Amino acid sequence: MAEAELPQRSLASRFAFLRSLTLLGLLLAMWVALSFSTHTFFTVTNVENLMRQASLWSIIAVGQTFVIITAGIDLSVGAVIGFSGVVVAMLMQANVPIAPAILITLLVGVAIGLFHGFGVLRLGLPPFIMTLATLTALRGIGYIMTDGAPISGFPDAFTNFSEDSFLGIPLLFWMVILVSVPSYVLLHHSRFGRHLFAIGSNPEAARLSGVNIPRMIYSAYVLSATFAAFAGILTTSRIGVAIAGTGEGWELQSIASSVIGGTSLFGAVGSVPGPLLGAMLISTINNGANLLNVNSFWQRVITGALIIVIVYLDQLRRRRR
Amino acid sequence: MRNACGPEATADPGAPVPLIELRKLDKRFPGTHALKAVDLSLFAGEVHAIVGENGAGKSTLIKLLTGAYTKSGGEILWEGRPVVFARPNDAISLGINAVHQEVVLCRHLTVAANIFLGGEDSRLGILKNGAMVRAAQRILDGLGFSISASANLGSLTIGQQQLVATARAAARGSRLIIFDEPTAYLTRQETEQLFKLIRRMHADHITVIYISHRLEEIFQLADRVSVLRDGVLVSTRRVAETDEQTLIRDMVSRSIGNLHYKEDIGHGAVIFEAKDLTGQGFENISMTVRSGEIAGLYGLIGAGRSEFVQCVFGRRPKTGGEMRWRGEPLRIRSERDAMRRGIALIPESRRDQGLCLNLGVSHNLNLPIFDRLTRHLLINRQAEMEHADRQIADLRIVTASRALGVNLLSGGNQQKVVVGKWLNHGAELFILDEPTVGVDVGTKVEIYKLMAALLRKGAGIILISSYLPEVYDLSDSLYVFRRGRMVAQHARNSADHETILKEAIGA
Repeated sequence: MAEAELPQRSLASRFAFLRSLTLLGLLLAMWVALSFSTHTFFTVTNVENLMRQASLWSIIAVGQTFVIITAGIDLSVGAVIGFSGVVVAMLMQANVPIAPAILITLLVGVAIGLFHGFGVLRLGLPPFIMTLATLTALRGIGYIMTDGAPISGFPDAFTNFSEDSFLGIPLLFWMVILVSVPSYVLLHHSRFGRHLFAIGSNPEAARLSGVNIPRMIYSAYVLSATFAAFAGILTTSRIGVAIAGTGEGWELQSIASSVIGGTSLFGAVGSVPGPLLGAMLISTINNGANLLNVNSFWQRVITGALIIVIVYLDQLRRRRR
Repeated sequence: MRNACGPEATADPGAPVPLIELRKLDKRFPGTHALKAVDLSLFAGEVHAIVGENGAGKSTLIKLLTGAYTKSGGEILWEGRPVVFARPNDAISLGINAVHQEVVLCRHLTVAANIFLGGEDSRLGILKNGAMVRAAQRILDGLGFSISASANLGSLTIGQQQLVATARAAARGSRLIIFDEPTAYLTRQETEQLFKLIRRMHADHITVIYISHRLEEIFQLADRVSVLRDGVLVSTRRVAETDEQTLIRDMVSRSIGNLHYKEDIGHGAVIFEAKDLTGQGFENISMTVRSGEIAGLYGLIGAGRSEFVQCVFGRRPKTGGEMRWRGEPLRIRSERDAMRRGIALIPESRRDQGLCLNLGVSHNLNLPIFDRLTRHLLINRQAEMEHADRQIADLRIVTASRALGVNLLSGGNQQKVVVGKWLNHGAELFILDEPTVGVDVGTKVEIYKLMAALLRKGAGIILISSYLPEVYDLSDSLYVFRRGRMVAQHARNSADHETILKEAIGA
């Protein structure tokens, strides 16, 4: 029974592979260019720094991808990051041990995801609107809870987590692996993933085939919000304080990473490696720009241009098929 | 051909319990009583045809049987026991599957993924993808469909996508399979394969419900035929004991004289001429269209007819040859050029190319002539409404109001909007690409009469149809396409069906 996996790889998977290769190539090219243009890039400190920053964006990019594949969108990601940071901080301040504090905060993420699913399915609100609403509201709630003041003073174990490494790789990056590997299996090799793509492609066909659409939609939004909560906890560990305004604009980073990684906003197209590469690409641009003393606002311009170029090339390739 | 293929004793009282029995099955929507107390019994192994005009309730009936809709009243009995279909899975678990008229599959997934959607082979939630692809390929090969199981569905033609839908139903439906207009997009070969499949299902004691407007198919395949009219089941007869005229009379409660309505209209001057026109998908096409004439283009799907007319309409660029309009050279670079010259195209796929589904009837009808309804940048609303109302009345479009979304109209009425919006445009050359696909008998005749009205006004028509009886009866000149070339040209009634078919296939 040990035959080859597929008699012939489908065009879709071949295409995704090529695209990942291109992104990887672009990423490596950037690294090489930066190594030559500044001697501070290819140092242990900087590479670790880059990996840590990329970790946070990678995790939310993967979560966002689950939602976008269903032809939805999660705009609340940035607010969830800030909010979950506040929640975990307040729990630890109330002397809740680290592990339960993290668990409770993740459950808050689950609750937010369920709320999104409820809004989209039961209230019939477009995902854009529903998550925009939570984006705005959660930010407000975070500020109310903290009175606008930062919370600090966490147990060392908590803050050290983001500074430590294991086998030379920052723990934060291990968290990406912890999240991505099951996500990859879930999305590309499980019935769940197959059904998710089906819903994004043709919800009516999925429904008539017996796919449990409500359960899948709830799952997608729960995954996105929980990943965002996880990223929020890690961010708080990294910066050492919990500020309600953390993560401002990060929802757009998650969408940009996902889209650069090949996810289509129309749904039914996406992967796990793609958004990871996308997040790494954007982080590299930011990191490189900082080191080269480029005006930080130019980073945004570059990221914007990158989105246009990559997605355009993507469209060309799709059209030619 | 009026052979019933199958056991004769299927409808006797005291015979085996019906596989599925509908008792006073009723379905209401807000504002419509779609199915009115339908009584129908189907037996195992029977091929049962259902015919009726668009809006008669056929789609509703299918949706009730597959669990896509829930019934408003009445009962469904499966092997004698009452069942309730609250969701699609209820029907699927009994072995009921349907192949719908419009392809209801996921374009982004592979063929194998689509065939097994909802019933994937997995262990602990992890897909056994390799096994599924191989199994799917076996199914496709076994049915004689030459399609690769790992191809992306979106890369296949519509006909092939329909075959995948058929393979899916065949793989999943073990007791009852419903086909809704399955041959609309199929080539002749594919249709033969489909018929072979249905005959095999019949031999395997699988019940088949076959819905089609092509009555000759019903006489080829079915044991019994039921007629739906306005939500009521009007009659159920043995196919061997009835004929086309009777069925049509049941469907429209009036007899339709000649199905392919054609008037004798004198031919005037040559309006349009193409000489060796070449482009992507077609080569060296030469033809003329005179005023009052219907030039029919016949061929298998993929023969290049749509590509050719799209070039005439400015949708595709030409790479060689020339066109003439009333003797003068004709240069068309865009659709606007074509429209300004007086060419109108009624496209093949009404849902994708002919209608703005989210917009109202009036909006769609007025779309080509808004510049005429505009005065000094502002639209003359009065004129807009009057024009729409006049069209709706003239074409007998059945709609609750001029503002109703066209996606809510029946297929036949949608097609009337697609055709109707060009009528008062004043075009002189009308190109109709498969204008009566999926349209009921009554509306077909109305469309043919519309065509005659256009011809009487002096227009010329290019008619593309893959339905030989239709294009044969209607055309004044019949052009046969094969693989992008024009292989034959016949004057009206000068060749027989066999010859033309052979030319189209290349036999």
